[in-house]
Amino acid sequence: MQTIPTTCIYCGCGCGLMLHVEEGRVVAASPQINHPLSQGHLCLKGWLAYQFLDHPDRLRRPMIRKGERLVPSSWDQALDLARDELSTLLRESGPASLGVLTSAKASNEENFLLMKLARAGLKTNNVDHVARLCHAPTLAALSSALGSGSMTNPIVSLRKSDMILVAGSNTTEQHPLVAFHILQARKTGAEIVVVDPRRTAMARLADLHLAPLPGTDAAWINGLLRAILDLGLEDRQFIEARTEGFEEARAALDPYTPQMVEQVTNIPADDLVLAASKLGSANRAAFVYAMGITQHYWGTDNVQALANLALATGNVGRDGTGIYPLRGHQNVQGACDMGALPDYYSGYQPVSSSRSRFERAWKTDLPAEIGLTAVEMMDAAQAGRIKGMIISGENPMLSFPDQTQVRAALEELDFLLVVDIFPTETARLANVVLPAASFAEKEGTFTSTERRVQLARGAVSPPGEAWPEWRIWADLLTRFEVDCLYESAAQIMEEIASLTPSYGGISHSRLGTGGLVWPCPNHDHPGTPILHVDSFPIGRARFRPVEYKAPSEKPDEEYPFLLTTGRSLFQFHTGTMTRRVPLLEREVPEPFLDISPPDARQLGLKDGTYISVESRRGRLIARARVTPDVNPGHLFLPIHFLEGPANLLTSRYRDPISGMPALKEAAVRLRRL
Amino acid sequence: MDGREMRDYIPYQVEIVDIDRVTSDSYLISLQILDREVFRYRPGQFIMVSVFGLGECPISIASTPTRNTLQICIRRAGKITSGIMDSMIGDVLGVRGPCGNGFPLDFMKKDILIAGGGSGFATLRSLINFIADRREQFGNVAVAYGARTRQDLYFMQEYKGWQMAGIQVAVTVDVGDQGWTGNVGMVTSLLDRLEIPPGSAAICGPPVMINSVAARLMEKGFQLPDIFVSLERHMKCGVGKCEHCMIGPHHVCMEGPVFSYDRVRQYL
Amino acid sequence: MISYLKKADLPDLLQAWADKMDVLAPILEEGQISFTTWKGQPLDLSANALVSPAKIISPREEILFRYIQESGTYRFLRPDQKPRLIFGMRPCDLRALQVLDRIYGAPPPDQAYLDRRRSAVLAVLNCTNPGPGCFCAALGAGPDADEGYDLLFTDLGNGYLVESGSPAGIVLIKNSPDLLPAVSDLADSLLTDKGRVVGLCRDQVISSFPGMSVERIREGMESAEWERLGQICSYCAGCSFVCPVCHCFTIYDRGVPDGQRIRCADSCMTSGFSRLTSGSNPRPSQGDRLRNWYLDKFEYILARTGLAGCVGCGRCSQVCLSPDICLRSFLESLCSREMTTNKFADAGESKGEGKSIRK
Ligand SMILES: Cc1cc2nc3c(=O)[nH]c(=O)nc-3n(C[C@H](O)[C@H](O)[C@H](O)COP(=O)(O)OP(=O)(O)OC[C@H]3O[C@@H](n4cnc5c(N)ncnc54)[C@H](O)[C@@H]3O)c2cc1C
Ligand code: SF4
Ligand code: SF4
Ligand code: SF4
Ligand code: FES
Repeated sequence: MQTIPTTCIYCGCGCGLMLHVEEGRVVAASPQINHPLSQGHLCLKGWLAYQFLDHPDRLRRPMIRKGERLVPSSWDQALDLARDELSTLLRESGPASLGVLTSAKASNEENFLLMKLARAGLKTNNVDHVARLCHAPTLAALSSALGSGSMTNPIVSLRKSDMILVAGSNTTEQHPLVAFHILQARKTGAEIVVVDPRRTAMARLADLHLAPLPGTDAAWINGLLRAILDLGLEDRQFIEARTEGFEEARAALDPYTPQMVEQVTNIPADDLVLAASKLGSANRAAFVYAMGITQHYWGTDNVQALANLALATGNVGRDGTGIYPLRGHQNVQGACDMGALPDYYSGYQPVSSSRSRFERAWKTDLPAEIGLTAVEMMDAAQAGRIKGMIISGENPMLSFPDQTQVRAALEELDFLLVVDIFPTETARLANVVLPAASFAEKEGTFTSTERRVQLARGAVSPPGEAWPEWRIWADLLTRFEVDCLYESAAQIMEEIASLTPSYGGISHSRLGTGGLVWPCPNHDHPGTPILHVDSFPIGRARFRPVEYKAPSEKPDEEYPFLLTTGRSLFQFHTGTMTRRVPLLEREVPEPFLDISPPDARQLGLKDGTYISVESRRGRLIARARVTPDVNPGHLFLPIHFLEGPANLLTSRYRDPISGMPALKEAAVRLRRL
Repeated sequence: MDGREMRDYIPYQVEIVDIDRVTSDSYLISLQILDREVFRYRPGQFIMVSVFGLGECPISIASTPTRNTLQICIRRAGKITSGIMDSMIGDVLGVRGPCGNGFPLDFMKKDILIAGGGSGFATLRSLINFIADRREQFGNVAVAYGARTRQDLYFMQEYKGWQMAGIQVAVTVDVGDQGWTGNVGMVTSLLDRLEIPPGSAAICGPPVMINSVAARLMEKGFQLPDIFVSLERHMKCGVGKCEHCMIGPHHVCMEGPVFSYDRVRQYL
Repeated sequence: MISYLKKADLPDLLQAWADKMDVLAPILEEGQISFTTWKGQPLDLSANALVSPAKIISPREEILFRYIQESGTYRFLRPDQKPRLIFGMRPCDLRALQVLDRIYGAPPPDQAYLDRRRSAVLAVLNCTNPGPGCFCAALGAGPDADEGYDLLFTDLGNGYLVESGSPAGIVLIKNSPDLLPAVSDLADSLLTDKGRVVGLCRDQVISSFPGMSVERIREGMESAEWERLGQICSYCAGCSFVCPVCHCFTIYDRGVPDGQRIRCADSCMTSGFSRLTSGSNPRPSQGDRLRNWYLDKFEYILARTGLAGCVGCGRCSQVCLSPDICLRSFLESLCSREMTTNKFADAGESKGEGKSIRK
């Protein structure tokens, strides 16, 4: 028996796990008692985080396409083929014809290397990852407002809050350990205000629940700020000492009277004012939000509005305050940090200004032109402009909006290289599929939603011939004649540290329980759990006026229901892993559609009736779950299921600033079967 | 039950020798045991059936020990049941058991009422055919059976044979249609059409149906301890270890699936 | 047989055993005590491990057998168990194994469990440093062991009193006469010392939850508001995964045509555990499931084995993701009941509406 400390593979909480190994098999996972965030607790997914590891579906050998079929090949053959195809495209159609999607499941080292391969090997900035679908608006808005697009405080900081605003986050199901700390804070006196169209568990346990119509977030956030100003509860001192642009932002708030907000959002004017007085009078208030705020046409504005609110009330830079964007994937933060973004290198160093630094380090020319975002790459692929792609550990066939288009786009490609641990729907379309090691089979670091860089250690060996992903990218880099030699993930981290100021002091040997929180500029630095304590990276924080604009798609006669999508506690993302864990799959084995009792009555639906859900883009079948937790007119569907892929329905409208698709806005109609 | 054979969870191997369609979503499957000469069981017992690669689940024995072939009746419910139904003649499955107690024929009276609802009828078929083959040992025997629609009725072609053996048979459906001239309604509605002197009863079906039939029978003079019910529970091991099948303090897989109604009434 | 081991000799003794079998002992791993294969690492005996060593015998996941298809039919292989010695198991965990022995040993006995059980030698350590949430004494499960061990160690300061409790234990002592000398002449005074050490510890455990007993717990269960507690439960199932007595499992297959039939820990705190094919569920709410968990521990298992299904190790409360409803809060509420109202029954009412999290 061995016990190997590592981190959980699922959500962005980044809980500390112990893996228990017997005769080369992981036979249990248990919590790390001393972990700074999870403190000896785990959610059900974490307790079972090991159970997909030895599933027979795991990819074990490289495979290459021969006509309709994927046939096993040697590593050399597969990598050669990938190099040949990609370099032919590069030569004949230019770097703009190539695109790379990295993985929020892969380690920092792997993201960094794949980013390097895209830029130094394929000479393209067309590199992005799934964050586009969750927190691109956060990055856009918070970078410009605060100078850093990340969570400002560690999650345990919430234990010091007097008041916690939770917006668009089904926290108990999606970030269970954040919910744990929020609820513990509530026990010691913190007030909780939840703003969510659904009556989530957190909403039920809250002191106040506001249920806006989906897609009207900017309106209620502006309204809240206006009400706080009307009550004179803003933090004048903070505004004057540490921010700029307040007056302009204030002027734009005029229309957002409680009555106007009630009209737009359905939130009773009195409730809004009540929330404003709670928020305004709190000494330490925290703002927790997730995809309910970002997955909208105007997602960046929503986040900016929240930032305005936090700044005006002086709730940044102290323990117990702060802005907490909850990251979905365990390493979506790290993928962003590592520069898996079309406009940034690692550590958010802009391509525009930091190119020469990386050119010098990598001893090669790098592309100057800003690349395409993930969703733009799909468009370009469909239009035939992108001809070759590398997709690592990601399943856009289920996770991207408008599935029909994604399939068309991927089928249009001349060459697709997929790296994954399971044969996903996306892998089935690939020309070359390479088997990767999972989190328990390799070394590497992952950065949780609270900027905590943690070390995952190999507990067992990968199945069959699978490789740790970093080895694949290192090999391809050599094949593309980029000068490099890596023998371990630790070595890659040395390069990351040397090129990334915020990771400057991070090395594998320093990462014990709980790792280090970046910015950690040098080897003696203890890490920086709380950002913006004395100043912002941009000097003063910036207010920006935000205007409420109507959602991209509204219910109408033809499609009378508004559908939002999300996750359930028991499944994760597209279910690639959780659906192979017997206990998790048993809990929610099939797609369900939450519908309010009045709507169900009107349609003559009972709990458990199968029903067809149709939008302008597609149609699927789900089982009705009649629940008062959604309001009439509103429906909720989880995204995990191949047999009912929610993203057949979702809309492709994108936030004009961040490129975030409006995944939480789709008008649909229902039909009984 | 023979303990030694259950202890290591390794099943016998059985070959599928025949498959009959019972309804649109259920098959009657005949099995031949490959690695064992005799397989003794009682009506009301069940077996754990494996499809290697998909798993194992509890299935009632649908045949009677008075006849040669071991039969099960499977309804498509999920992964394993579909796996069984998608198997072909000649395929090999696994079987552990027999599990559970079966109907306590030694303690039952000679006059027997058998009431079933839905797919739970498979286990009662075992009992009915047993009685038909040993008809002289029993007195007045009546069968009341209900399903959702005509298409869902199990073993239709066997009712004639049962009647010829002197067993009363009455069936009902929840939802009638044009071709259906018989009774529409709950199983309880059949009880008044049959001649059933107070004796023993064997019931299998959903809890609501069990409760209403039992209540009606008690009005007709049946004694509580003479009413036997066969229960369904989630089961995994079949040997009283995994705790899935607990109903109050009882393990349905070991102490049941057949209980006298008075023992389990409080849990239904 | 009674012997005495100098503390300095413990590594040598472990090494002598490790030459012959897999020795599992409490070792510090990332600042946390964990039963791990001993390869000369320093031991940490200052507290019990979060993952019980009983899980070595009744693991969260194990292969029942492999199936191999050969021309249409199957061949089955059961895994071998190699000999193990578990050093430093606490009396509560030993008691957990005794409960499991009775459950798995009842006819038909469970071969996979028995294989593991018989291949393991238990070198138990009497408790001298209980945790703050321990209440083994209330259940007669600790803090000292009286039977069921092969060897029993008691920390007497400079060394350990070592008692054998089985033929296997006697052999182990006899095999290391240098390290484990017989101490017939000193036996009485050593046993007196042991009584004193153990007594001190017992007092300490009892003082955490004075007057606690199975009867008190059962009384308390009658007035607990299960539905409301169920609504606060976070559905993590940690309580059942970490409990050394919890043993419910599910069985699943991995691999076609050849593969493994695996059993893994299940949890009665999940809804799929009892759900039927029809979708109906005999225990539909989390409150029902929570109540069943308590009933099983303090009534059903007791009736079945004569021993309570809880050994008072406190682990379930340590991991509970909704600490307000854990067993420890329940016991605390019982202890303070005379003085105040039932806090446990009130948990979750404090603020907000508190309705069901999930069906
Ligand atoms: C004593 C007994 C006798 C039975 N006899 C028959 C029979 O003669 N014919 C027949 O077709 N079916 C019978 N069943 C039901 C059968 O066992 C289930 O339909 C089967 O286990 C479902 O497995 P699956 O893999 O096909 O479905 P899954 O894909 O596993 O799941 C479908 C649904 O069934 C539930 N379920 C899963 N496993 C079990 C289980 N072991 N027991 C109960 N529910 C479960 C799940 O929670 C889920 O809701 C019997 C069950 C019992 C307890
Ligand atoms: S909360 Fe997230 S990181 Fe923690 S155990 Fe659950 S899925 Fe894993
Ligand atoms: S119920 Fe809790 S205290 Fe009791 S044995 Fe199990 S884990 Fe320990
Ligand atoms: S450990 Fe606590 S929160 Fe988790 S299932 Fe058990 S009672 Fe519920
Ligand atoms: S089925 Fe496992 S205990 Fe009954």
